[in-house]
Amino acid sequence: MHPQIAVFPRLGGDNTPPVRTLEGQKTLISRTMHGFAYDEPRDEIVVMSALAQAVLVFRGGASGEEPPIRVIQGPRTQIWGTPYGANSQVSVDPVNNEIYVPAIPNRILVFDLTANGDVPPKRIITGISGAVAIDPIHNVLIVNGQRGLNIYDRTVSGEATPKGVITGPRAAIRRLDTIQVTTKGWIIAGGGDVTKGTGFVGAWSINDNGDVAPRWKIAAQKITGYDPYSVAINPAHKEMLIAAAGGNGRVRPTRGIMNAVVTFSWPEVF
Amino acid sequence: MRGKKVQRIQGRKLLAGAAIAGLCLLGLSTVPRLWVDADAGRVVSVEEVESVDACIRPPRAESASDNLFSAFETPTVYAQDANTEDLERPAVRELVDTAPIFSSVGVDNVRNEVYLQDSNRWGIRVYGRLENTKPGAPPSEPRRIISGDNSQIQFNSCVWVDPGSGDIYSVENDTGDSIVVFPNDATGDPKPKRHLHVTHRAQSMMLNPDTGELFLSVQYPPQVAVYSSTADGEEKPIRLIEGPKTNLSDVHGLALDTKNNLLYLNSWGNVSDYKVAGSGRFEAPSIEVFHTDANGDVAPLRIIQGPKTQLDWPGAMSIDPANGDLYVANDVGQSILVFHSNDQGDVAPFRVIKGAKTHLSYPTGVFVDAKNKEVWATSLGNSSATVYPLTANGNVAPLRIIRGAEENKQSLKFGKTQALAYDTKRDQILVPN
Repeated sequence: MHPQIAVFPRLGGDNTPPVRTLEGQKTLISRTMHGFAYDEPRDEIVVMSALAQAVLVFRGGASGEEPPIRVIQGPRTQIWGTPYGANSQVSVDPVNNEIYVPAIPNRILVFDLTANGDVPPKRIITGISGAVAIDPIHNVLIVNGQRGLNIYDRTVSGEATPKGVITGPRAAIRRLDTIQVTTKGWIIAGGGDVTKGTGFVGAWSINDNGDVAPRWKIAAQKITGYDPYSVAINPAHKEMLIAAAGGNGRVRPTRGIMNAVVTFSWPEVF
Repeated sequence: MRGKKVQRIQGRKLLAGAAIAGLCLLGLSTVPRLWVDADAGRVVSVEEVESVDACIRPPRAESASDNLFSAFETPTVYAQDANTEDLERPAVRELVDTAPIFSSVGVDNVRNEVYLQDSNRWGIRVYGRLENTKPGAPPSEPRRIISGDNSQIQFNSCVWVDPGSGDIYSVENDTGDSIVVFPNDATGDPKPKRHLHVTHRAQSMMLNPDTGELFLSVQYPPQVAVYSSTADGEEKPIRLIEGPKTNLSDVHGLALDTKNNLLYLNSWGNVSDYKVAGSGRFEAPSIEVFHTDANGDVAPLRIIQGPKTQLDWPGAMSIDPANGDLYVANDVGQSILVFHSNDQGDVAPFRVIKGAKTHLSYPTGVFVDAKNKEVWATSLGNSSATVYPLTANGNVAPLRIIRGAEENKQSLKFGKTQALAYDTKRDQILVPN
């Protein structure tokens, strides 16, 4: 409908208007922006233009109908999505200058962070797809695959064998569009059954393996009525944020408002 | 073992910290670089520091053990042997829009009612056609609301009222993948009388009463699906208009000129063939005109496209049956554009409703009420519907306003808050729709 990128103050609450919005034809953005990243060192916003098989990079302070400063798009990129999901996700490793784009068939394309135009990926990870989080401190890469969290060496390429796989009924992990990892090595991801109101955000260790329950769990859906499609972190204030919207059989939020950004304090993971 | 490991790490921390401090002190140049907080390993700012790569960022190590900065890691976290701790703490903040956000409008000029699609609370709000919220007054209350789990209204992008039966059609744009149909007197949380499963990203629809067909636009993969107007359940389309010749891309608005057998669609220009890797490209937005009998991969009869058109994320469209004039809700253009029925190429609209007096703010819905010679619009940006004389042009005040929120409220324009990121530099939350 209206695929804007709206920017809000950290302390925004009910009806706080955006301080700026990025929207309109010249931005090249489209719907299905499910993965999303802010690159602090370069002060850039990285997002997919999902219906046009493109990665868009904007100035961090971009506003209005501002075009991207770089676009990765074209036959050499190998960017390819499904008719249903298109190319919706993207992650950034600002320390090692890389962009991760999940694609089909079951692969993750890795581009240089400064890539522009019709450029090939610098490497391709095969056999896995899903939201990616990068831990540059411990040099691991986490992929939120269909059945859990898959942990790889950060520089993995080709057919990858994970160092660890967190999956099973105790872990109860479900797939999010964006996951995070803190500098302490806590993976922030989602779990539970959103159709039963048990959706939660959990913290697992990058060293976990097997059917491991999260070390900490915030029962976001039970507490607020909202559960995440995506999570973000604010290390300076030791906060975790969830992007919540209805659908997919989720229990209706108690306030009846179907779109929300909810912030929790979570000092334990920072 | 754990104690020895911690000692080793602490020792490495001291050694590496001293090494980096020395390197930084010895540096000479002042090139803008990234600085890394050694304790957290987090890039915290962009500063002018000495040009010594070793103190700029972690070296690109092949593994954790080769990484100098791995020395700064907090004693490695292990959770396998720990019990889960449930943190029952409340949220510290919720960022929401408490008002309805109106994305689409349908008018029943037989029963004199207006139907507004609320995409924030997932409902259809029904008002009297002559409802008019006075300046300074509280928001208008609808006569009735259709909303709730039974109704299966979700991600509702288009509302259409059959002028004959009064049946209410609601298009579900995302997880619903359906069109739900209610009787005209539906209220509360009723089950739909029909539930047609449709392709993902369905956007706009309209019935052709002359042929008994239902036309549905689908954003991506771009297509028009034509169903029987009574289709239900898993019933398949009678025909599809799709393929590279159609020029369709990221399709939004749809309008039918039943008098001249013309079908209008608009495209946002986000193009890719989902069957081909790397086939993405961007085109200028456009309006495609087909014969209503079009089928398969066919070229449009005409295309309206180019900078003179002013198209900027065009939304719903509607036709004046008297003369075939095409009305376009021009979202980011903050306007209603009106084109002649035979316009083609890079042509300017012959009328534009736009300006501060119009109360338009990101209009995505439009509906021509030919009987009453009025044109309606819904604005995402201020939770309102406005109605103008059908011949309105320029910066004109609306005849009436239905306001769903307090006066001067700025809508958050949320549609689907499925992702977010945190801007650590500005302490701001980035939220895409």
